[in-house]
Amino acid sequence: MIPFAPRVARRPTALVFIVALSAVACSGGNSALDAGNNGTAVTTSPAESSGNDTGVTDGAESTGADAVDAPESTVGPATTIAPIAELPPCPVDALDAADGPVKITFWHGMANELETALIDVVDGYNTSQGRVQVILQNQTAYESAIDKYIASGIDSRPDIIQLPEYIVQSFAQSETFVPMQACIDAAGFDMTPILPRVANTYLFEGIQWSMPFNVSSPVLFYNKQMYEAAGLDPDDPPVSLDDLRTVSQQLVDSGVAAHGIVLDSGRDSGGGWFFEQWFGRVGELYADNGNGRVAPATEVLFDNETGFDILTYLQEMVDSGLAVSVGDNAGGQDSFFKMIDADAPGASTIATSAAISSVVAALGSGVAPGLTTDDIGIGPMPGPSDTPAAQPGGASVWIPVGKSDEVTAAAWDFTQYLVDAQVQSTWASATGYVPVRSDAVDLDPIAALYEDDPRYRVAYDQMLAAVDSESAVVPALGPLREIRSQTADAVAATYAGGDIAQILTEAATASNTLIETYNARN
Amino acid sequence: MAVVAEVGKRSWSWRDLWLAIVMLFPSAAVLGVFIVYPLGRAIVLGQQRCNSFGTQCVSNGFDQYVDLFLSTEFQGALESTAILALITVPLGLILGVGLAVLADKHLRGIGFFRTAFSSTIATSVAVASLMWLFLLQPSVGALANIDWFISIFPTVKNPGLLQDPRTALPAVAMSSVWAGLGFTFILVTASLQSVPRELHEAAAVDGASGTVRFWKITVPLLAPTLLFVIIVLTTRAFQTFGEIDLLTNGGPRPGNSTTTVTYFVYGESSVIASDPGLQAGGAVLLFVILLLLSALQLRGLGRRVDLGG
Repeated sequence: MIPFAPRVARRPTALVFIVALSAVACSGGNSALDAGNNGTAVTTSPAESSGNDTGVTDGAESTGADAVDAPESTVGPATTIAPIAELPPCPVDALDAADGPVKITFWHGMANELETALIDVVDGYNTSQGRVQVILQNQTAYESAIDKYIASGIDSRPDIIQLPEYIVQSFAQSETFVPMQACIDAAGFDMTPILPRVANTYLFEGIQWSMPFNVSSPVLFYNKQMYEAAGLDPDDPPVSLDDLRTVSQQLVDSGVAAHGIVLDSGRDSGGGWFFEQWFGRVGELYADNGNGRVAPATEVLFDNETGFDILTYLQEMVDSGLAVSVGDNAGGQDSFFKMIDADAPGASTIATSAAISSVVAALGSGVAPGLTTDDIGIGPMPGPSDTPAAQPGGASVWIPVGKSDEVTAAAWDFTQYLVDAQVQSTWASATGYVPVRSDAVDLDPIAALYEDDPRYRVAYDQMLAAVDSESAVVPALGPLREIRSQTADAVAATYAGGDIAQILTEAATASNTLIETYNARN
Repeated sequence: MAVVAEVGKRSWSWRDLWLAIVMLFPSAAVLGVFIVYPLGRAIVLGQQRCNSFGTQCVSNGFDQYVDLFLSTEFQGALESTAILALITVPLGLILGVGLAVLADKHLRGIGFFRTAFSSTIATSVAVASLMWLFLLQPSVGALANIDWFISIFPTVKNPGLLQDPRTALPAVAMSSVWAGLGFTFILVTASLQSVPRELHEAAAVDGASGTVRFWKITVPLLAPTLLFVIIVLTTRAFQTFGEIDLLTNGGPRPGNSTTTVTYFVYGESSVIASDPGLQAGGAVLLFVILLLLSALQLRGLGRRVDLGG
């Protein structure tokens, strides 16, 4: 009754399978990232020799034989991007020659109220002029937009696409985009009002590859009621990590909160993005070659004293109970839920400023009895310095290459609209994102919102800190996403009480393997 | 017509060849385009390393499959998958059969229970996973706020079933079993209804107890269905993705105890997420493993099934 084609002898089949599965027990222990790297894999495994049980099992301690020892700094690999003159041009005037409205498709990753706000922006553009018609196509999330873009041939790609900050290097090197710099130069577009930190986030090898559109940065969310009950000033949240420790101690000692702060090891939060932020905060590079901005990076630099101090601080905070970790925090809601835990609540957490609107809306709907929307305070991201500053996150718009001149010109026309001061003011006030330009904050509705509710302004003010080195922006690394996985493992192992020096070395070694592999393929 | 063959002569002629080709063409084309070609491409891609755009690929020979198979990440994923299957298949089978036998009574209101037990078949994996996510959420989740429950299982509260590396995989398995229960229940119920009542009545007259009748009559006659259910549940366990993507993202870190082979291959947080070559390699390995497993199951279990025949 059941179709079964080949009459394989019973024993051999079973044998093959048993042999295959038994390999589980006696595997060589090389990383998947080394697969296919022929020759002898040089295995340096501090994890095995020390016998320290950190629980780190990523097995990425080996380096392929193809790997060449990277020079100390400032020398890039062979592949760099051609100068702007040799890159695809941006025919900004081609729209004049078009007969009838040019239709362009726009892929985005905005959901819920963010999508509603984006639809308003696009409707505003479509009705404001008759030459270009933008068709929005929701890709549901940045990740899906990335995957779909990569899987698409040139004809099925969109005419303009919104992409997150962590893909700058790999997408710039994909040779599938018109550099935004070409459009800026051809149109004589004035970039000076764009916040330098924000613009530089999309800079690679001196070329502006995309136009920032929605900007966010990590901020401190804290429970004002608890601060007040613990005798703290509810309008003066801690800015430095030392202050955060003192404040947390007071919150715990007074018994109003079980923990001063809720931490996590998520890749897009405590385990990756925040870890990078803390290096930027003290003006230190995270990767060589100017955080990978001047030339493709060849190695990460976080395996140093700063990295050690940060992880030590995190471990001490969790060990002493001043902080608590909620783990991977997938989706970002676990850390907020821990703040309203009935038994052991935390008094604060660090999260992206893009969450402010959702948190305010959730409190407004009465999700936490006794907490009103005014009881949640927003402060700058605590970091290893007394001066608030943060590296921008969020997304920018990119113009794919290979479209007709009219379409490229239309995409550029729409891009200009997206970063228009008035549009940015409206967009920021509808979403909680930070305006990308300084002149937008003088315009209503965002000016009124910042005046009315200064909590929304905190993320913007963090963008104004001086830009004195490439550490002002997140590192541009080809495999940044994968490296964030490695640091997320490292932070999680730190919370679990592992040996910090060893954790850092393992994460750096694994990250450098990723960079070497990336550089060899690009 | 000439197609009618004479006894003893060969039953086809060359003139029929074109007709055969024409008739085979649609299915051959569909199979070729959607199965054979992609499989071939995947096998070729699986021995290459590429950048995230799938360009600049370098062929490394087929020993890349061996490297990948022996890598710590793949072995870890295989182990997680095996554990997941060892939990979900027996548990899903026992619960499904148990509930089906319980509901196979002609009582008033039994329809309500049949509907309830089979309802999970109408629940998508995404919905089921989100439900479990909020059930298990350690701060505000329903289970974490039942005092007697957390006094027995303190892990539910701190750090949370899905956050603790030791309990995350069983927790994912639990949601997977729940989501698959309706499917098993409906299949077994349908099969139970085809068991002749006369057999049970005759056995009862001979003095056989309910337990004896269950093992001697019900189970043997259910055997073909049970074999089918076991194969489907095993395949489903090896292909579990939605639950893991929504509940743990392959975590918790460090250790990634819920990164199964499927999540390792397709998962957004997987260490090979931006290398289409390794991803294809992992997919081909998964294909081979499932092929071997199904062959084993069919041969091992298939023998006993024929008894019921």
